[in-house]
Amino acid sequence: MHDLHDVEVAERMGRARSRLFFILAMVFFAGQSLYFTSSPLTRDSHARVGAWLILVILILMLLATGGFLLRGRNVRDLLNDETSRLNRLASQALGFWVTIITALVVYVESIFDPLTLNEGIHVIVTLGVGAALISFAVRERRAHRID
Amino acid sequence: MTEVLRNRLREERDSKGWTQAELAARVGVSRKTINTVENRVFTPSATLAIKLAEALGVSVERLFWIER
Repeated sequence: MHDLHDVEVAERMGRARSRLFFILAMVFFAGQSLYFTSSPLTRDSHARVGAWLILVILILMLLATGGFLLRGRNVRDLLNDETSRLNRLASQALGFWVTIITALVVYVESIFDPLTLNEGIHVIVTLGVGAALISFAVRERRAHRID
Repeated sequence: MTEVLRNRLREERDSKGWTQAELAARVGVSRKTINTVENRVFTPSATLAIKLAEALGVSVERLFWIER
């Protein structure tokens, strides 16, 4: 049996998490559009690639754990209970399919309009990770809203 | 043939005078999970179904049934 206070805290944090994930996905997509609109000579600077890698790893860790930064084991367990785990698995599966389909599209596209390796990886990772993140945020928001 | 898992979680919870959050605390899940089970958005695992039945003091069969 958990404390009612923990349930209420988990409720607030769960709603905040879904909003945060949605915003994070928007920031991630915005960053990628900046990447593709900037000069090919400067877009792969060490600082930019480093920042992008850190953001991708952070998002992947959030998707894998549901929020490893959250403190308090009881609240973390409530936040990552059955529904959230199922939502996370479904989102990861969607991310997988989007990644594979994007990779195939990039492969075919590169026959007609060659892409650099970096550009191709950016497109594939952005769509795959972004789709999983948005999917999780939307599923969680929907679950909170149903009445 | 379509099979749908139905439940009377809301009725049993209401009969105890508990909120979704109170039942969630007793079972050890989030309020969202109770909400999605009540609204048949989420199909609970056998473990959760048993915990819910135990918390409400009813049998699993009374709480959940399959409609064909």
